[in-house]
Amino acid sequence: MKKILNRSILTWVLASVFFIGLGYFTINLIIHSSEWAQKPFNKHISVTGLAQAGDIYDRNGNILATSVDGERIYNEDYSVRTALLHTVGDDSTNISTAVQSIYRTGLTGYNYVLGLGLPDSFRSSSDITLTLDANACAQTYNAMAENGYKGAAVVYNYKTGEVICKVSTPSYDPYDPVEIVDGDDTYEGVYLDHVISSTYPPGSTFKLVTAAAALENIDGAESRLLQCEGSKIIGGEYVTCVEPHGEIDMKEAMACSCNIYFAELAVELGPDVMTRYAEKFGFNQAIEVDDNQLAVSKYDVSKADEAALAWSGVGQYTDMANPLHMAMVCSAVANGGTPTVPYMIDDVSSFFNFKNIKISDKGSIGEPMMKSSTANKLSDMMRYTVSNHYGDSTFGDLHVAAKTGTAEVADGEEDGWIVGYVTDEDCPLAFAVCIEHGGFGISSAVPIANVALAASAVAVRGY
Amino acid sequence: MNEFLTFVFDLIVVILRVAIPVFSVIILIKIYSSLRHNRRDERPLIMLFDDYEKKAIPVLYWENSIGRSKRCDVFLNDSTVSREHAVLLRRDNGWIITDSGSKAGVFVNGEKITGRTNVYLNDKIRIGSTTLVVKRAEEFEGASRRSWFFKPEGKKSISPKRLLALITFFFIMVSAEACLTKESISTGIIDLKPFIYGLVVIAIMWVTYIITSLGFKRVNFEIESLAFFLTGIGVMLSVHQSDRQTNVQLAAAVVGIVLFEFLIKFLEDPDRVSKFTRWIYIASLGLLAINLIFGERQYGATNWINIAGVSVQPSEVVKVGFIIVGAASLDQLQTKKNFLIFIGFSALCVGALALMGDFGTALIFFATFLLLSFMRSGDFKTLILAVTSAVFASTIVIRFKPYITKRFEAWGHVFEEPYVWDTGMQQSRTLVYCASGGLFGVGIGNGFCKELFASESDIVIGIVCEEMGIIVTLVLAIAIGALVFYARAITTRSRSTLYSISACCAAGLLVIQLSLNIFGATDILPLTGVTFPFISAGGSSMISCWGLIAFIKAADERTYAVRKKGLFSSSEI
Repeated sequence: MKKILNRSILTWVLASVFFIGLGYFTINLIIHSSEWAQKPFNKHISVTGLAQAGDIYDRNGNILATSVDGERIYNEDYSVRTALLHTVGDDSTNISTAVQSIYRTGLTGYNYVLGLGLPDSFRSSSDITLTLDANACAQTYNAMAENGYKGAAVVYNYKTGEVICKVSTPSYDPYDPVEIVDGDDTYEGVYLDHVISSTYPPGSTFKLVTAAAALENIDGAESRLLQCEGSKIIGGEYVTCVEPHGEIDMKEAMACSCNIYFAELAVELGPDVMTRYAEKFGFNQAIEVDDNQLAVSKYDVSKADEAALAWSGVGQYTDMANPLHMAMVCSAVANGGTPTVPYMIDDVSSFFNFKNIKISDKGSIGEPMMKSSTANKLSDMMRYTVSNHYGDSTFGDLHVAAKTGTAEVADGEEDGWIVGYVTDEDCPLAFAVCIEHGGFGISSAVPIANVALAASAVAVRGY
Repeated sequence: MNEFLTFVFDLIVVILRVAIPVFSVIILIKIYSSLRHNRRDERPLIMLFDDYEKKAIPVLYWENSIGRSKRCDVFLNDSTVSREHAVLLRRDNGWIITDSGSKAGVFVNGEKITGRTNVYLNDKIRIGSTTLVVKRAEEFEGASRRSWFFKPEGKKSISPKRLLALITFFFIMVSAEACLTKESISTGIIDLKPFIYGLVVIAIMWVTYIITSLGFKRVNFEIESLAFFLTGIGVMLSVHQSDRQTNVQLAAAVVGIVLFEFLIKFLEDPDRVSKFTRWIYIASLGLLAINLIFGERQYGATNWINIAGVSVQPSEVVKVGFIIVGAASLDQLQTKKNFLIFIGFSALCVGALALMGDFGTALIFFATFLLLSFMRSGDFKTLILAVTSAVFASTIVIRFKPYITKRFEAWGHVFEEPYVWDTGMQQSRTLVYCASGGLFGVGIGNGFCKELFASESDIVIGIVCEEMGIIVTLVLAIAIGALVFYARAITTRSRSTLYSISACCAAGLLVIQLSLNIFGATDILPLTGVTFPFISAGGSSMISCWGLIAFIKAADERTYAVRKKGLFSSSEI
């Protein structure tokens, strides 16, 4: 029988494998539990989700969402509800980047010790305070909705990182979720927060990148003169401008958005330098804002010929840009070369103080995008663009440095852009507005930016 | 319901939800500490006195190999002795010696033996040139052997009645919690059905206890308690799924208990068991053949047959037979005659299961075969050969069965597109609901995992973990996993290697099955399709689980010995 005892050691081997596996499962479960519990197909969240969820406030303590008697109640103002839909979310988890989707387990009081199983009387739900200003969002939303615009507008404080205004259209009232009908594109992309999850061809706003690359790599690039005759063959293809700009230097080329000037710079810099600078500026890079990944802006000239490279330098070809990322580029210009990372979650509080939602570092800064001397020169050019070409009166009493863009999209339509920042000390706001199929940036995006900035200025300055 | 009442009920629910995992841990500890206590030290049963060397050799076990090999239980340093010379066995009618095919033969009182021969006190056994005289063990003065598992000294462990009372209290709590679902508290309509089912489980448990303690005069009830503990939890989890399923669980548990008692009776005489081996082979293969011919296809596997409106899974019953024919007493092991037949039989079983498309069960049979054949032969070469050919066969299966190929593709990626919507659906949902339960669960009846496909069987861990929490889940897994340690600890205390082999392999089979179930459902292994012993819904599975633990029960010498007091003392021989 001794032999049988010795051979039965094999059962121990078996048991060890089993217990190791069990331990692995348990540890894995503890590590990933909150990630897994938040999955949208978890019916604890999608079916009975928000009945006990905590409150969501804006920066001024206005209630954006709360729960009363098992019902989810949103702000009483239609514009506020609709403007903040993509930020706050609705009862469903269709808008996957919204606070009520990604922090739903936290809002409902999930933590691994208690799971999702506590009876309602014992839930310790968390309240979330956002950095956004409900009024600024509502006004911006109204301005976009009046024109039937689809697109994204975002304004954030480039010193602190607080996002003040963030709107994505089309939107809908969380009390009255839309039904998407096949063939009707009114609500196409309605579940996407375009500020976070979309990219658009950047058009002329990309000239900031080309300019920075030239300033840091070509001696005397700034004062180089070009005779713009309205069109020029580069790499066998016509590069055209809206009108002949005459003899211009870089500052003037930026202000009048001369395509030929920057197309030639891009060709001269070559694909490697252009790619290096695009990547320094955050293209092709994953950027995280709170717990969301921004849609990645793209710059890829690996298969581009000379003509394509030329167009890539003025934000066409395959270039794509995310609106919030472009606002970060402007924050880098405003901050002497280094961007501020935006954030929206200001504070999380809960009854037992189980902080089950992590707050990202406030006011953290990213990798430097350019030298501070480059930033100063770009700043001059962007400021000159507004003061000499659009006129300072465009933005009321605010002093704005900006660049517009009009990007051709595949179907012959044009997306209108403006990206920039406010230079006033007491109003450090960086912004980006992109209107899908809006035509010229100056006529579509600029008025929206004006509304967004004016309302956001009230939020940060108090007047 | 008014607010105050709701609060009171919520408070009760919270207290229950914390108390249930705590009590489950206490019950687990009590069962196993009771299994560890009240055991005798491994004292010699008799002695063999070497007249020439003037040396006493203790005989420790019920079956002892005698030979020149150092690994023999009775080692004789004599070059005229064969490596495996003889086997000395204890049976109900006394001590027996058999020749294991030695060259020189075995002589009792000068006569060469053929077949089994009884030996009595002061008989002279001649093996090679060594002569051994049978003596009482009282004359032996050596140290007793001890296993780490057993703790004979120390305070007395819990009595069977108290243990059952504890489990009864636990079931009352669980069924109370099952009544107080979220829905019933919010609507104010409390359905007492779960409570009634709880009382039925408790009643079955006590009736079984009374019958075995008064009727069969058995003193220990730990293994049964463990099985009832598991069965009861399975039934309570089933209550909110379907009445029919719950009734089947209960009925199957009763059938299982009857099978359990029958097997213990049947296994009482190891020599009788070996006489029936042939019939068990035939019956098992017959069942599998009937399954292959008349089988019904359900969920991709043809492993069901319909008998008068009742669906049964023959492969579950065959598991029990597989263990019986795989095990053997020591004298049979020494002659090694049956081994080839067993290998052939195993190949047929695994092949039949593969043909049915039930690859999970095929894997269980194969792993159990490895365990059985290794415990019989101790031969690593056979083991390696078998594993190699199995790996070869399974790569072919993976290649040609598209749904298995797909499952392998999704392995480790169940949360990623597109697997999260098809092949990885079950696993990702199981993990999500496991995470939703936390330590204490969302409460029986409040879960959503039960809405998933096959949630009551293959991915039942999702329901357990979601509704009762990770603590209870681990308690259930450890309760079954630790059976292996117990089965191994009683190896040398069994009345025959038939019991030690079958106990180790039955415990091993349960652990293999549990591993495939848990790790398959949680994407640690790329498999699904086997049941969680005792917990998963399924009558055939429930019956076979009770059948399998009968082997562990039978390996405990107290199961038979205690009611025949006196067998411990060697004076009777």
